[in-house]
Amino acid sequence: MKGNVVKIITALSIFSSGLWIAGLGLTIKDQFFYESEAPIKEISLKDVVAKQEDGIHIIALGDSLTRGTGDESGKGYVGYVVDELQTKTKQSIHVKNLAIKGQRSAGLASQLQQVEVQRQIKQADIILMTIGGNDLFQSGEALSNFSLERINQAKADYLQNLHTIFKTIRSLNPNAVVFYISLYNPFNDLKDAKTTSAVVREWNFDSAEVASNYPSIIAVPTFDLFELNVNDYLYSDKFHPNKEGYKLIGERVASLITFTEEDEKND
Amino acid sequence: MINLVYNEMIKIVRKRRLLIIAAIIVVLVALFTYAQMKRVQSLQEQLGTTDWRSQLQQQIIDTQNRLNSSGLSEEWRKFLQIRLQQQQYYLDHDINPSAPGAPTFMRMFAENSIDLFIPLMVMVIAADLVSSEASGGTIKLLLTRPVKRWKILLSKYIAMILSVSFILLSLGVISYFISGVVFGFAGWTMPLLTGFSVQGEELDTTNVHILSQWKYLLMEFGLVWFVSIIVGTLTFMLSVLMKSTAAVMGIMLAALISGTILSNMVSSWESAKYLFMVNLRLTDYVSGMAPPIDGMTLGFSMTVLAVWGLVALMISFLVFTKRDVY
Repeated sequence: MKGNVVKIITALSIFSSGLWIAGLGLTIKDQFFYESEAPIKEISLKDVVAKQEDGIHIIALGDSLTRGTGDESGKGYVGYVVDELQTKTKQSIHVKNLAIKGQRSAGLASQLQQVEVQRQIKQADIILMTIGGNDLFQSGEALSNFSLERINQAKADYLQNLHTIFKTIRSLNPNAVVFYISLYNPFNDLKDAKTTSAVVREWNFDSAEVASNYPSIIAVPTFDLFELNVNDYLYSDKFHPNKEGYKLIGERVASLITFTEEDEKND
Repeated sequence: MINLVYNEMIKIVRKRRLLIIAAIIVVLVALFTYAQMKRVQSLQEQLGTTDWRSQLQQQIIDTQNRLNSSGLSEEWRKFLQIRLQQQQYYLDHDINPSAPGAPTFMRMFAENSIDLFIPLMVMVIAADLVSSEASGGTIKLLLTRPVKRWKILLSKYIAMILSVSFILLSLGVISYFISGVVFGFAGWTMPLLTGFSVQGEELDTTNVHILSQWKYLLMEFGLVWFVSIIVGTLTFMLSVLMKSTAAVMGIMLAALISGTILSNMVSSWESAKYLFMVNLRLTDYVSGMAPPIDGMTLGFSMTVLAVWGLVALMISFLVFTKRDVY
């Protein structure tokens, strides 16, 4: 009996030694002597089967505001919009937050070229986005080193990118409602408030002009929300909103979203 | 010679070490299967979707956000960047790198245990092959037989190799069946990508090609086997040099653990790449992870390991044949 166990184990050991040596040989052949054949094809959008789950699909795009930087609960305005919507409808709500901290308009435009991002946008019913904050405040070096010329240059690039972004979204998904959330002035209580506010207002106005060229892209103002008591609504970095600030934005956006009878049937 | 090897196999089996190792593997695999299951569930809950593409996309976005936050160490940033590019490549080619299934679990288990867990198990077998004979005094009986000393040592060495193969086999079989109960037994033919190479912070994809998972697994187990043999050889050498099994284990343990710590912090100490313990993660080259030190490749690591192994083997034989036993 004992002897048999040893015999079986030895036989299995010899067999597996052979197996692992074969594996090692295969590795050497594959990793060192691989001759490239035709490169693997990238998929295009039409190869991917769109498997639609039931419910309302929300895609969030943009920068740190959409990501929710500064909200200790991590929800951001997107989270509060969803909270509000859940009280209005019985359908399940699927949120995909594709926002990247520090992203600028050029980054978003190139993100929209990714196949998977495009697929998700195709399935969306509602698109929430913030963009431009980093274009404005970083190129103007937080407006402290104020130069109108530089800001105008940044704005021209930004508006061009915004056109591209809206065009891409509309061509992918002609039906989804896009809520473009515009900028507030985080420097409202500093001494240059007058100039900085003027710059932000103009920036918002021009962005809204771009949005008006496309059907159902809605520019949502936030400037007024942060005009009084700006510090109560800002996070300790004095730039991003805090929980209360995000709640204000979220409530405003949610109030714009309504579900008609027809929607209920379609989804 | 065959009889000598068989004799050594009997000794190893009698000590019931293999049984203990198998039991450890069973417990750990069950633990990891449960952990993995929980992770999959929480991921689905968190993202509200079972679609792997959306999940992978979300992971990519999360990584991008982490890359944009300050205070990341240089190594970690590089690691994330390489992984990000790889995930994007998988996504762009519509291949799911972690489709659930027992073979996928086996692959991940092998990849994660190559630098510590499996070497530890090998150590348990190899540490007392010679030293226990020395400390127990049985070495005298062994050497009085009319057999050349090098033959005795060689038979022990071959028995060590055989037991290492057996440990790996049981690791594969046990992890397949336990995880299969939870994740299903399918997935052998699922496609995977290999052939990534890392250039600084960029991922070079010119040689990337598709492999079936079974082939990929066989390759990874081949590499795990190679690493185990080297670790086994080093332990074997220490076992020849020292009488105390505890000392052998202590030294190997220190070396292996320092390896896992060093790999995380050596990127600026370049000559550390000649140490055997930072070269153990061979499977990372196949899957395309960033190496701990720039310029390390599969060929380099295998050569370093082979040199360490050969030197250790030579020392073992020289010492064992020349030494006075009294």
